[in-house]
Amino acid sequence: MLKVRNFKKKYHQHEVLKGIDIEVNQGDVVALLGPSGSGKTTFLRGLAFLTPGDSGVITFDDQKINIESATPSDIKKLRRKMGFVFQNFNLFANKTAIQNVEEGLIIGHKVSKPEAKRRATEALKKVGLQQYANHYPSQLSGGQAQRVGIARAAALNPEIILLDEPTSALDPELVADVLQVIKHLADEGKTMIVVTHEMAFARDVADKVVFMDKGLVVEQNEPTSFFDDPKSPRLKEFLSRISAVNVADNSFEYEKAVQK
Amino acid sequence: MPPFSFKFFLSVFGQVLPYLPVTLLIIILSIIFSSLLGVIIARGQLGSSKVWRTVSQGYVFVLRSTPPIVLLFLVFYGLPKLLLLSLNININDWQKSIFVIIALSLLFASNLAEVFKSAYLSVNTGQREAALMVGLSEWQAFYRITLPQAIVVALPNFANTVAALIKDAALAYVIGLLDMMGAGDNLISRNFGHHSLETYLALAIIYWILFVIIEQSAKYLEKYLGKGHTIASKSAEVVA
Repeated sequence: MLKVRNFKKKYHQHEVLKGIDIEVNQGDVVALLGPSGSGKTTFLRGLAFLTPGDSGVITFDDQKINIESATPSDIKKLRRKMGFVFQNFNLFANKTAIQNVEEGLIIGHKVSKPEAKRRATEALKKVGLQQYANHYPSQLSGGQAQRVGIARAAALNPEIILLDEPTSALDPELVADVLQVIKHLADEGKTMIVVTHEMAFARDVADKVVFMDKGLVVEQNEPTSFFDDPKSPRLKEFLSRISAVNVADNSFEYEKAVQK
Repeated sequence: MPPFSFKFFLSVFGQVLPYLPVTLLIIILSIIFSSLLGVIIARGQLGSSKVWRTVSQGYVFVLRSTPPIVLLFLVFYGLPKLLLLSLNININDWQKSIFVIIALSLLFASNLAEVFKSAYLSVNTGQREAALMVGLSEWQAFYRITLPQAIVVALPNFANTVAALIKDAALAYVIGLLDMMGAGDNLISRNFGHHSLETYLALAIIYWILFVIIEQSAKYLEKYLGKGHTIASKSAEVVA
């Protein structure tokens, strides 16, 4: 469904992405792991042309985009197939939770108002926040805000949802609920790319785990082999460095969510 | 000097208030024009074109360091000469109020440009990005998401700038404009310099009332437009 070839990005002289190749199939959940500074977020934002790459080719179904020659209408067409969940939520501060979800439906996708309201209510219900529909973002906790962020992306029914460290800005006790919501989407068969540091989550939910380091994809595999049988020395080092405490802690948060 | 006459003091209101519409018209038109120009300058400062950035920054620097009364004289005496010499347009018979409006608009456009610029920058770019990702165009993202938030941020500073403009507009009588201040000045002349205390006190009171109105409407607007922000600061504890 989505195929990226030789994606490159430079900031001034610093080469952040040195040619990323990635393939995502319909229904796949791809977890993107790697140390900070490895370019995961830059890559994800590049896919949505929020910070466009310098060169490379993005193929999405029958749409083929050469990054260097992408026109605004190419980008708009590509974005319509994508939902984006931000690390710091980026809920529209001047709109209530339900208006946040409706905005894209009514203005972006020209859905009628009653239909948008119905879909937005349903989307909020799915993330367990229908009673917060009329709250403004500043009245929501981080975890609630991020769930609205996910509802906003999912309500548009995009072909793929890109999630940029969706739980990194949250207090530890709020992480579980958000992961739970993402897992629900995965169970529904949504295609997703998730940049994450939640190892237990990646292991349980992802169909494919991709490890990036210093602007390159170092290793990718299905989760069990990825975590239990890392091939490259760099990945071995990365996995061993995520201290036992950290993994245990993450697993704990995640298992709590699963048990609910 | 005759003693303070309360009767005269009251009569001043009847003498100067008929000219309040002139003062208000000048203020309102100056606010409109300086806002429009301010938006253009702020846009230039924030834009990617180096030429526009330099021009607009230069404009802000020059106008912000020009005293209002100096600019008023420059426009009143200089603009007709400039237009006559360069474009052969004669504007010497224009009404004085037009020169005042031009001077105030030029002057406050630079202040307002700064107000608009900082308000725009205070809105996180993530808001725009999120709007683009749910299918809004750049323009829709701006006027539906960024602009409403920027207005709330800009409002207190905008009201302050308007307050400064109203006070500077009181200088217009120096070029002979017959506004509220001009009427007061004439009144003093007609009394051979007597009763200036009563006159200026009456004028001060009118300005105070004007300011109360502006302050209150700015507060009301801020509350009305800033729903998402203000309600939050009150009820956030309740929810969380």
